[in-house]
Amino acid sequence: MAAAPFLLLAPGTLWLLIFFVWPTLQMLLMSVSTGSLDDGYQVTGSLDAYGTAISRFPKQFGNSLLYGGAATVLDFLIGFPVAYTVAFRGGRYKNLLLFLVIAPFFTSFLIRTISWKTLLGDEGPLLGFLKHSLGVLPAEFTVTGTSFAVVAGITYNFLPFMILPLYVALEKIDPALIEAANDLYASRWQAFRRVTFPLALPGVFAGSILTFIPALGDYVNATLLGNPQTQMIGNVILSRYLTLNDYPLAAALSFILMAGIIVAVTIYARFLGTEQLTG
Amino acid sequence: MSDQSVFSHRVTRRQFVVGGSLAGFAAFLAACAGSPTESPSQAATPGVPTAPPVNQTPTPAVPTEPPVPTGPLQFANWEAYIDLAGSAGDEGVYAPGSSPTIEKFKEKYGVDVNYVEKIGDNEDFYAIIQPALATDLPTGWDLVVLTDWMAARLISKGWIEPIDQGNVPNCVNNLRDGLKNQPWDSNNDYHYPWQSGMTGIGYNAKSLRQAGKAAPTSIADLYALPSNKINFLTEARDTWGLGLLKLGKSADPATTTFDDLQAVYDDLAPLVANGARFLDNSYLQDFASKKVWAGMVWSGDLASSGTPGDTFVFPSEGCMVWTDNMMIPKGAEHKYTAELMMDFVYDPQIAAAIENYVYYVCPVNGAAEIMQEMNAEEPLDQYYLDLIFPGPELVAQMHNFQFLSDELETRLKELFLDLKGV
Repeated sequence: MAAAPFLLLAPGTLWLLIFFVWPTLQMLLMSVSTGSLDDGYQVTGSLDAYGTAISRFPKQFGNSLLYGGAATVLDFLIGFPVAYTVAFRGGRYKNLLLFLVIAPFFTSFLIRTISWKTLLGDEGPLLGFLKHSLGVLPAEFTVTGTSFAVVAGITYNFLPFMILPLYVALEKIDPALIEAANDLYASRWQAFRRVTFPLALPGVFAGSILTFIPALGDYVNATLLGNPQTQMIGNVILSRYLTLNDYPLAAALSFILMAGIIVAVTIYARFLGTEQLTG
Repeated sequence: MSDQSVFSHRVTRRQFVVGGSLAGFAAFLAACAGSPTESPSQAATPGVPTAPPVNQTPTPAVPTEPPVPTGPLQFANWEAYIDLAGSAGDEGVYAPGSSPTIEKFKEKYGVDVNYVEKIGDNEDFYAIIQPALATDLPTGWDLVVLTDWMAARLISKGWIEPIDQGNVPNCVNNLRDGLKNQPWDSNNDYHYPWQSGMTGIGYNAKSLRQAGKAAPTSIADLYALPSNKINFLTEARDTWGLGLLKLGKSADPATTTFDDLQAVYDDLAPLVANGARFLDNSYLQDFASKKVWAGMVWSGDLASSGTPGDTFVFPSEGCMVWTDNMMIPKGAEHKYTAELMMDFVYDPQIAAAIENYVYYVCPVNGAAEIMQEMNAEEPLDQYYLDLIFPGPELVAQMHNFQFLSDELETRLKELFLDLKGV
């Protein structure tokens, strides 16, 4: 009987050991190696790659933090009312509404992002109409190739990752608790602030983590919707890895990103209070 | 649809004829032959990879079962690189059934062809097929078209299937002399050219007129236009090659230094910071949508697939020259069919039909004469003649900035990535 928990954990543990721990260790070793793809890489303990990573790409790290953070906040502001409405006002349309949230995601991530490029193109259906038919925008106005487009793309692409955890948390709330707050003379706003929102915090936490972490590492939106000034750290990792084959630098960049995420999430968890999250 | 209607459509659209410029054509190809190196010897030239030896197995005494074409032939090519008819021709984007040449091939051999305009940049396409090739897996492509330096790289790595010369008699007989004896594959064991072309400047006359700007005649003129309305090429060798010429430096890999590359970077950086873009063939769409007014472009594209007002100019500082080559990636499933396709497009009749649409420089002997007949009725502007048969004075202005030493190539890649912000 004592072995049961271990047996149950075994598949997951094995999976993570092979596909997460082992590659991560390899990456760690790669990040302190020197050499080239043709001559092979030797682990030399050199920290040069970290020095280069930090000194040469502060802007792209900054862009990642800024765009990932902005997209997460926007997703929360857009997603919370949606999740709230579906959970408390959805009624018999709940499943349909949830389906509608997920439906666009049956299409490939790439296709959706490329379609943004078309939709937001300078002469596309939206801007073309606003510029030429309504004449409310100057002909020079452009959206694609700006940081706004990158943030908008990330926000759009990660929205369900925010809505679904929020919905689950809100859906679990016993309406009787809100009724009780009202009975105790809480206004609707007070009931929301003191009862509903605190109970939804685990969803807020999960949703923002699920959005923020992949958004930080995203490179597709910056590639398709950005310009050379709006590239993110994911783009740098990609180019260093695939174009220059500078594996140590790519690995060092990845580790710095990973460390940054761990620090940010730890602070965030402290700030929200872990006991509320597990409770 | 008959051939006649296809051709008459093209002719009316482009006012086409070939007039005695064959001398210029020959001169051009002679110049191409000179690149990347004039040396007839096989001694390794810096920056030029060498091909692995091929055992051309002698024909077995006992006749074997004749091979049967299989399909669908997976054919990856660049945009604006094949003859199109009908609405696809007007839009300049290939759609299944829209290319008379591909349709004729399908009919002749009874196999399907999946022709995809998949390649916009040598490095990008290399990144797609490299992982499969490096692990001895098929790439999924049977026929690919890549530029000399990339072709040389793939061949030297042993990632290209040797061509069974017995299956490609048209190629053997009709390849222009000027394109033979490339130092990286001197016997054409692995490649046959698809088209040659130039990299210069393009602009849309309407866009510039509306903005009150003069049409550029030099690379320096291009740089002086509003930065957010111009494009450079994602093909770093083209962008840097023209960038070197603009600075009055020679675009010759043998003499180019790190400082020269850096000088081009310093020249480009402020333009990129102000919104200049790096594009591949997609400049065709950006020219059409007026997002871009002018840029670095490849010679035939605007003439074949551009919108009214799109114009190519040979910049006064000079231009780049190159050849794109057909090759069969290692492990291709339909190798024999790919060889049939190579042979098919080296039929001068077919080559002329393609040439009559794409406005690049044809590698096939005899195609020019057939084009001449096709277009006998309507005279062809000098503008088109220069694209297809550049005369000696243009040839003298052409530079080949392809075969870089490893050090130069790495430096170029680093600078280019920096410029792109990654």
